[in-house]
Formats: sequence, structure tokens, C-alpha cells
Amino acid sequence: MDKFEQAFNELIEKELKIEPRDWMPEKYREHLIRQVSQHAHSEVIGMQPEGNWLLRAPSLRAKQVLLAKIQDEGGHGLYLYSVAETLGISRQEMIEQLHTGKAKYSSIFNYPTLNWADIGAVGWLVDGAAITNQVSLQKTSYGPYSRGMVRICKEESFHQRQGYEIMMQMAFGTPEQKEMAQDALNRFWFPALMMFGPHDKDSAHSSQAMKWKIKIESNDQLRQKFIDHTIKQIEYLGLTCPDPNCKWNEETGHYDHSPFNWDEFWNVVNGNGPCNQERLDHHKKAHNDNKWVREAAAAYALKTEAQVA
Amino acid sequence: MKITIENKDAMSVIRLADTSVILAQRLAEMCSNGLTLEEDIALSNISLDLFGRADELYKIAARIEGNKFTPDEYVFHRNEREYYNIKLVEQPNHDFAWVIARQLLHDIYAKELFTQLSTSSNHEVAGLSQKVLKEIKYSYMHSHDWTNRLGLGTAESNERMQRALDHLMKYVDELFNFDELDKKFIPDPEKLKAVWFSEVDKILGESNLKRNAVAPPSMRDFREGFHSEHMGHLLSIMQFLPRAYPDAKW
Repeated sequence: MDKFEQAFNELIEKELKIEPRDWMPEKYREHLIRQVSQHAHSEVIGMQPEGNWLLRAPSLRAKQVLLAKIQDEGGHGLYLYSVAETLGISRQEMIEQLHTGKAKYSSIFNYPTLNWADIGAVGWLVDGAAITNQVSLQKTSYGPYSRGMVRICKEESFHQRQGYEIMMQMAFGTPEQKEMAQDALNRFWFPALMMFGPHDKDSAHSSQAMKWKIKIESNDQLRQKFIDHTIKQIEYLGLTCPDPNCKWNEETGHYDHSPFNWDEFWNVVNGNGPCNQERLDHHKKAHNDNKWVREAAAAYALKTEAQVA
Repeated sequence: MKITIENKDAMSVIRLADTSVILAQRLAEMCSNGLTLEEDIALSNISLDLFGRADELYKIAARIEGNKFTPDEYVFHRNEREYYNIKLVEQPNHDFAWVIARQLLHDIYAKELFTQLSTSSNHEVAGLSQKVLKEIKYSYMHSHDWTNRLGLGTAESNERMQRALDHLMKYVDELFNFDELDKKFIPDPEKLKAVWFSEVDKILGESNLKRNAVAPPSMRDFREGFHSEHMGHLLSIMQFLPRAYPDAKW
């Protein structure tokens, strides 16, 4: 072990932050680029399922709140692309990796939003699951990622409240609205729980990431925290948890859950979810259709810079 | 539900509110379709300002009308022929040049209109106008900058921008066919027209673009609730939920 690696290990040991100019193992850098770019792409692709209801948002207030929320997600994408850039990859490269399928994004966004309550369920469950993970990531060992997470968490907790507000409106509304709320919960419950990733014993990247303190708590720990917290909210709404085995366990002090359908999870991760193709095509189309605009902006910048010079 | 608008001042305010909400809805369509994340966020911001402006204007109109209807009822429960926005803002986002050309033509109009209204004898309208002028100046800066970039960028961007302008210009004529309500509500309608043409010509001139003459369009006026075919589609999407579930609260 050379002195650089020793210094790196000491920083991790003391729970101090690794900064962009510090020496870091190549694998640490690769792991972070993969994780942060995946996180950035998730924020950006996540704009689509919510955008699906933006034009149909049923009140002026709902429209403004949802548009502001989706705009925040775009802003999070920007922070995170910037974090990844400090590790030596450009935004353009990351977008290419997204388009070729080399880079992934959270699989949850491959599920469709089919009724207005889904917008509530996405804020409540999907952002809720994301926050559980992100609160933990505020302590991650890479400085820029950790600081980015502090800002992102502030906005995400507002998003979760926004989602829950819609769920309340729907669950306490007309019978048709309540039905939409239950339908949304039924469809998003298991996919949201699987967002935390495979069980600890099956998680390929987890153990090294925990040694490096990129990850602070394990997939299963975070998932359990989320379930315990959310069941009470389901009860308050007067809705039914779609998992009949989700019951309080005196011995463990936690709620139990049924085994997850990991075949479905991997099938969606591997490209066969309800909207994988649509999400990527949408992103590619917006990017490619506007190539002429980016070219115009670049040409204009060159001309005006030449004038200044 | 049949929405009525009795008072003439309320009608003048409704026209402004309708123009704001329809343009906001059009810009919201651009969300997740921006050329970069930065531009996506910018267009969302302008859309948010317009939704907020519409909301405040509907509240003023509702108060004049004795609060018979809420802002949401004005937005979600009127049909095409009961909407009084300028046709320019309902035109589709054919490409980014259309988005920018529509915005530029609108922003120059809105900037002078709300400048004049900031001295309106209606104190609520005057107060709101002073506030929204700040937002309009940002939007105008954005549409002005992009007009420069597209006009002077590449041959393709210049051509696309010119095509968009040539098409959208036919919806300009009606802006200045002032009726009695306008003459009462807008402090100086003729100045509005003069300022609009001089500013548009200046910006297009500096951007290597032209304001080509348009044959006088044979089209009925927005003040009587006439629209292009695009309007019905926009409303059918926007109003779907409150129309499908009239008993629900959102």
C-alpha cells in the first residue's frame, strides 16, 4: 500500500470527505461514476411519468405544484451530473451511455402512471423510498455527492408531502377517487419496495461500497425502515396494503412482508418493463430533435466571442 | 355549469387571464422535452409564472363578479367559445423556433400592456401589473436572447425561425383590433400597437430576420371567443379530470 492509498484509507476511517483532487482508488471512482450518473439519469427520466399527468393536472394549484416539482427533479439531475463531472466524465458522455443502454436509471420509472392518484403515489412512495436512501447518502464519503444530497433531500421531503397531500385528497374524496388511490397503491407498493435493490446477501456492489462508506446503510435496513414508516400512513388513509402478509411482528419489532417477485424486478431492469422503450425514446427524441438548436447556440457563441476578442 | 361573465372590466381581466393560462399550458408541454436541462428548467419557470399570473387575474375577475365562480371553475368549466385568449398563444410547439417566436411576439405585447396597466384605475390590476412586469422582463430577456441566437446562429436555425415568424404573424392582426372594452381598459391602445411594431422590428432586424407582410387574415376575433382548431384539443386535455368527475374536489 503506497502513501496515497494509506491517506485515502485514513480519510475513510475517520469519516472525513474525499474531495475531487484527492487520490482515490480507480474502483472507488468507477463505482461513484456509475452510482451518481445512474442517480442523475433517474432524476431526469423520472420527469416523464410525472409529466404524463402535468397537462391534465386538475386544478391551477395542482398544476403549479406538479410543474415546480418536476422542475426540481431536473435541477437535481443538473447537480448530480455536475457531481459526476468532478470525477472526470462529461455530461455528454453520460447521456450517450444512457442512450446506448450502458448506463441505467432507477427501474421504477419504467412503470406507467395510469391515473391522477399515481402522481400522489409517486411522490409518496417513490420519492419516499428515494429519501430514505438519500438521507443516508448525505453522509456518503465523497464530498460533492454528500453536499449535493443535503440540498436534494430538502426538496425531496417537500415532494413527498406533495404526494401524500394528493393521496389524502383522493383517499378522502369521492368513491371513484378512493378507488384510484387504492389502485395506485396496489401498483406502486412492490415496485417501490424493490427500489431499495436486491437483498443484502444478493447485492453485487454493496459490500465494497459499504467499506468505502459510499453506502452507509444496507438495502434491507433501508427497506425495513421505509416499510415500518409507511404502513401507518396507509392506515391513516384508510387504504389497504396490497401485501396480506404485511403484519406487525412482535419478535423482530418490525413489519413482515411477503417475498418479492425478483423475476419481475430483473425483467424490468433488463429492459422489459412496461415503459423502458418509451422512456428512452422520449429522451432520445428531445435530445436529437433539438440538435439544430444546440448547434445554433454554439455557432452564435463563437461569432459573438469573436466579436468580443 | 354555465359560467357567465357580466361585468365589462371582469371581461377585460378574463381576456388577460385566458391568454396567460393557455400560454402556460403550452409551455408546460415542453417539460421534459427541452434541448438541455437548463432550458427545460427555464421554460418551466416561464410557464409557472404564467399559471401564477392567470390565477391572480381570475381572482380579480371573480371578485368583480361577486365571487360567483372560482378561478378553477373559469379554467376547467368553460368551452372553447367561452375562452377569450389571443389566438397566438394557443399555437402549437411545432419546434423550438415556434416556442421562441410565439414567446417573443407575446412578451413584447405583454411588456407594454402590463406597463400601461400598472397605472390602471383598478388598484388590484395596477398592483398585480407592477409585480408581473418583473417576470415579463425575464421572459422577454429569454425570448430576445434566443431570437438573436436562432436568427444569427446557423442557416438552418435562421430558416426555421423565419418560418415560425411568418406563420405566427397572421395571429398578430387581431391583437390591435381594439374594441370598446379595450379602449376603456387599456390606457393607451394606439401606443401599445406602435411600441409592439417598433420593438419587434428592432429585434428581428438585429437578428437577421424579417417581419414579412401578411395578407389580412380572414379570421374571427378572439374577443368574441373564436379560436384556431388547436384550442379544442388543448382544452380537452387540460379539462379532462374535472369534467369526467364533476363531484370530485381536487
